[in-house]
Amino acid sequence: MTPSGLAARVRSALVDAGKAALVAFGLFILMVGLRTDVAPAGELFLRTRWAEVGMLCALVFGLRLATALWVRPRLSEGNTQRSAALLSQAGLMFGPALLAVALILPFVPGIGRYELDLGILVLTYIMLGWGLNIVVGLAGLLDLGYVAFYAVGAYSYALLAQFFGLSFWICLPLAGILAAFWGVLLGFPVLRLRGDYLAIVTLAFGEIIRIVLLNWVELTGGPNGISGIPRPTFFGLPFSMGGGPGSFAHFFGIEPSPSHRVIFLYYLILGLALLTNWVAVRIRRQPIGRAWEALREDEVACRALGIDITNTKLTAFALGAMFAGFAGAFFATRQAFISPESFTFIESAIILAIVVLGGLGSQVGIAVAAIVMIGGFELFRDLDEYRMLVFGGAMVAIMVLRPRGLVGSRAPSVVLGGRKRIDASLVGEGRG
Amino acid sequence: MAYALQQLINGISLGMIYGLIAVGYTMVYGIIGMINFAHGDIFMVGAFISLIAILMLISGGMMEGPAAILLVLVISMAFTALYGWTVERVAYRPLRGSFRLAPLISAIGMSIVLQNFVQVSQGARVKPLEPQITGGVELMREGNFVVQLSYMQILIIVSTLAVLAIFTWLVTQTALGRAMRACEQDRKMAALLGINTDRTISLAFVIGAALASVAGTLYLLRYGIADFFMGFIVGVKAFTAAVLGGIGSLPGAVLGGLLIGLIETFWSAYFSVQYKDVAAFGILVLALVFLPTGLLGRQEVEKV
Amino acid sequence: MSEAAIPSGSGAILDVDGISMRFGGLLAVDTVSFAVQRGSITALIGPNGAGKTTVFNCITGFYRPTSGRIALRRVDGSLAALERLKDHRIARAGVARTFQNIRLFAGMTALENLLVAQHLPLQRATGFGIGAMLGLSRYKAAEAEAIERAASWLRAINLLDRADDAAGELPYGAQRRLEIARAMCTGPALLCLDEPAAGLNPRESEELARLLTTIRDGTATSSAPTSVLLIEHDMGIVMRISDHVVVLDHGRKIAEGPPDLVRNDRHVIAAYLGEDEEA
Repeated sequence: MTPSGLAARVRSALVDAGKAALVAFGLFILMVGLRTDVAPAGELFLRTRWAEVGMLCALVFGLRLATALWVRPRLSEGNTQRSAALLSQAGLMFGPALLAVALILPFVPGIGRYELDLGILVLTYIMLGWGLNIVVGLAGLLDLGYVAFYAVGAYSYALLAQFFGLSFWICLPLAGILAAFWGVLLGFPVLRLRGDYLAIVTLAFGEIIRIVLLNWVELTGGPNGISGIPRPTFFGLPFSMGGGPGSFAHFFGIEPSPSHRVIFLYYLILGLALLTNWVAVRIRRQPIGRAWEALREDEVACRALGIDITNTKLTAFALGAMFAGFAGAFFATRQAFISPESFTFIESAIILAIVVLGGLGSQVGIAVAAIVMIGGFELFRDLDEYRMLVFGGAMVAIMVLRPRGLVGSRAPSVVLGGRKRIDASLVGEGRG
Repeated sequence: MAYALQQLINGISLGMIYGLIAVGYTMVYGIIGMINFAHGDIFMVGAFISLIAILMLISGGMMEGPAAILLVLVISMAFTALYGWTVERVAYRPLRGSFRLAPLISAIGMSIVLQNFVQVSQGARVKPLEPQITGGVELMREGNFVVQLSYMQILIIVSTLAVLAIFTWLVTQTALGRAMRACEQDRKMAALLGINTDRTISLAFVIGAALASVAGTLYLLRYGIADFFMGFIVGVKAFTAAVLGGIGSLPGAVLGGLLIGLIETFWSAYFSVQYKDVAAFGILVLALVFLPTGLLGRQEVEKV
Repeated sequence: MSEAAIPSGSGAILDVDGISMRFGGLLAVDTVSFAVQRGSITALIGPNGAGKTTVFNCITGFYRPTSGRIALRRVDGSLAALERLKDHRIARAGVARTFQNIRLFAGMTALENLLVAQHLPLQRATGFGIGAMLGLSRYKAAEAEAIERAASWLRAINLLDRADDAAGELPYGAQRRLEIARAMCTGPALLCLDEPAAGLNPRESEELARLLTTIRDGTATSSAPTSVLLIEHDMGIVMRISDHVVVLDHGRKIAEGPPDLVRNDRHVIAAYLGEDEEA
């Protein structure tokens, strides 16, 4: 680049950064510069923080300048395309490697209670992501109230276990069936709605279920939730600390340890997640799975081929809900305590973000997205109140940089000759 | 009867606030076909900016009379509009023409950012604001029950009508409004005809944010509280209002807002306060199932 | 074929009896009757706005006619009253269709498109998902058979080598043929085509004409002979391959008969030359 060209670029970058700083000044002058605080007497007063405003503006100026001068020229060199291809290639080996790590994780030296708990959390989100992917990624139905079925599963387990004393292994399928039943019940009237209407109605259903849980105090305990939910047993053997007769430790003749339960929970959710994956992968190669994808591509054409779209959509909705129900039951037994707090809209948003970020329809992509989002969220726990801010910012940034998610291409469900991936730009996104 | 009349007044004033926000949703949806999920949080930001402005005026001893209220509204509109513009510029414009779910996720991310930005910068505590406008006009008396139209409600109704009148003039009578309607009909064609679609879309966000900030100011003055999470539920209800009225239709948004406000108020008055949101959402579901395009929406013709 | 003059009898696969379609104040189709004979290619022609597509959409169930009856003789010989069925039921009764603006599943491969078309028999073979989930052999056999049928259609439309390419990547002409093959994979009694030659070059039109006659005669694949109803603007194709032509103008039938007869009908000539620039 010629010196004059460089100078021009620097000048325009400076002007650009100046404008950005000016906008930042407008944004922050009141909201950051003047903080409303509540005085002991209950009155509001303002506290000034001009220095912070100045720092933020300088920060915006610097970041904008850096982006214009260094980051953007690199991005435009066109290596994004290549990295996408590389990623989907790597996905073939990456999946099994990820699975291997997940399988031996509890026995890797240095993995303690905390890491396993994090692993359980991540796996729960992976499972929810895979479940929601059936609805959003395959069938193309935008569901913003997925957490409702998670809640149904959790409360089903908690109530069945408390009132009827049923064991986890009986409650688990029941929770799934109940969630699926709710999926059908809620889905039936609304599945003929299109696109954003469906999104907003599912969101409304999610909120309705949460509000009912919050206010039906006699059944659900209202905002106090349900505590003392029975912990899972190892097929009837409890994980008691005393190690008395009939406990897990006693039966296998090992030292009682609190980590047994955590390890058991870890494998439990790993198993459930893998079940979800197995079903999702297999069903994609079945007629019903293909019908879902066809529905996502073109609903009118499906009708012309004799496919009953209402039933097809309902199956997707019910199956997705069922896995959320399983995950909910697991959540309840793991926490031993549930309350409506855990089932807010933000949970649905996070699960949907994982699915979209992973690349609709890609199992490995969703797993990676869940690890990045949930793991990353944990990583930043020192940031305290800034953590959600960073989280939201990351959601925006990732979408802007990779709108199609990590793995956007689609693998055919059946082939005659060689397997080729289908470019993301061709794959439909559904209107429902 | 008197009780019902009072609820009617309350419902209309609440509904107008929803209507103001709903216009922002419906306008953006009409032009770029996306749910601006962060719009409820823009409303919340508007409430906070007016809270700060009111506190500034109080500390300067100037928080008196209609002029002060007007000043608060203007400050709030100006700064909130900047937020609206920035949100579009940062989170949505880069995704223009991208696939449908990306802007939605980006919008949800933006909503999280705005909420937590306000939580960090203004604190998580609920801010209680003392009533600034008190008193009212007594309309009728039935036994001990007094039906009152408070000055606050008069302010809500008058300012909403004024703002909507200006807005309607803007959309129907000016070149900007024509450009907006053209973009709504067919963005590609509008661009071919030399309309700067990027700028038109930006303006839609700016106007929507300004309207939401008016709603935020009125909400703050009426209910005397502001907190960083207030935008979510109000936003969802306003979106419900937009859908109910027929998304894309501006009069529909106001009508939907009024309906939601009335339903919520009457439900709370006669049934249960806890389930008032369920009522609003329940109506939404029913309306969509039986009236899929909303009250004033355009029928979507399926071509085969 | 000369049996066109015979009123719809046992030879008719589709009997359209006095259908009308009103959109608000507009009478788009006014008591139109005609029949499609078994084993024939029947063309529905007429100037723009004549109501062809409306009739077509009534037959395929995307519209419900305001009045009139449409009867289809199923493969097993029973009659189906199409005007009372929902669109996916009509497809199940044995009417397959294509679209004017191609509606393939663009992100799925050509092969997958043809398998989706065989959804019903496959779904039945899966035992509603459960049997297939567990990998039962009955489904495996059914799927192999479905793939075989799909492959034979891909061969018939010269796309076997592109079976694993996304449908959206195929050239335009290939997409048109694939859509026809997809419709045929549902095993229909009647194939309805909405302007199949639109946008094709002469060589592709030629190929299409040959494909349609082989579909009628049942020589395209091992599948049975299939009656064809088509809307077409390309008069060359219509006159060459049709056995029977029905002409609509302003929502009414103005003529019908063998191509040679229709071509010289003065009402038809007036409709085309007098009121429309298309000839």
